[in-house]
Amino acid sequence: MRSPMGSVERGSIAPRARSVGGGLTFALLAGLAGFLLVPSLILRAPIEPVMGFVQKIFYFHVPCAIMLFLSTFTCAGGSVAYLFKGSEKGDRLAVSAAELSVLFGACVLVSGPLWGRKAWGVWWQWDARLTSSLLLVLMMIGYLIARRYAGPAGRKLAAALSLFAAVNVPLVYKSVDIWRTVHPQTTVVPKLDPQMRPAFWSAFALMALVWGVLLAARYRLENARAALAVAELELDDLLEAP
Amino acid sequence: MKDYFGRMGRPLLKALAALVATCGAPAMAFAQQFEKVEGLPRQEIPAGPFVAAAYGFIWAAVLAYVFVIARGLARVERDLADLSRKLESAGGSRERAG
Repeated sequence: MRSPMGSVERGSIAPRARSVGGGLTFALLAGLAGFLLVPSLILRAPIEPVMGFVQKIFYFHVPCAIMLFLSTFTCAGGSVAYLFKGSEKGDRLAVSAAELSVLFGACVLVSGPLWGRKAWGVWWQWDARLTSSLLLVLMMIGYLIARRYAGPAGRKLAAALSLFAAVNVPLVYKSVDIWRTVHPQTTVVPKLDPQMRPAFWSAFALMALVWGVLLAARYRLENARAALAVAELELDDLLEAP
Repeated sequence: MKDYFGRMGRPLLKALAALVATCGAPAMAFAQQFEKVEGLPRQEIPAGPFVAAAYGFIWAAVLAYVFVIARGLARVERDLADLSRKLESAGGSRERAG
């Protein structure tokens, strides 16, 4: 009988599982430091003259969007390794990154309308950027649903879906340049006021750190689950042996 | 049947006409009374709650996810410890039997 979680070396169960908690402690510390330091930089950054104080949402909204893109590409990379090389590690990385896509996608889709309500007067516009972003997040939710409920072929189906999601990412990014939308264009970050840059890049660094730590912790959890499945098989073998 | 609708229809028509007259008259009055007013304060939605809600949601979502991962890790570690004990006892009993 083959492990449903894929191949994990037998006899390597406990040490891997015991080492999984360190990343989470680091994540909590990084989050705490960021919670204290980055908001102070953001508050000290100059007020944008047209939109006013609500433009401060930008400092977390954009890094969250970049993490959404990064997670989707990571998921697609892991899925390619799984689909074409049968890599179980790639599959575990893909599912970990897919969850982060949904997490950061939710942050983008909540912070964006909060910004839009004040800046545009409406919560939502069915324009190219917003609609394609929503589609991207829905695709990643579809990935997780397919893995969970689509039966034995679910993992391959989900992996294929993640490739479509990755193709959608450049479209989401360039949509503001291709079509006329109410959303700011991609030139906003390169042309950012020098006094706003420290706040933006520190928020970006914090988000990247949180993303990396969460991905590592989630990947280790997936490895620990695979190790658990192998340990269950070992026990079954021992109990069934004559 | 026709008499019934005739009897019921007339009062309904009267009520409808009264409703139109009541609602329509002020609407027309409003439409004809646009005036320029100077010195009114500009109506603005305060930005603070929107910014606070955005940051609050992002951090709450990240912390909730950390909690979910921590709970999953704790469960896996507990299950692994149980399995390790069972493996050791099963291995020990086989050695004694051998």
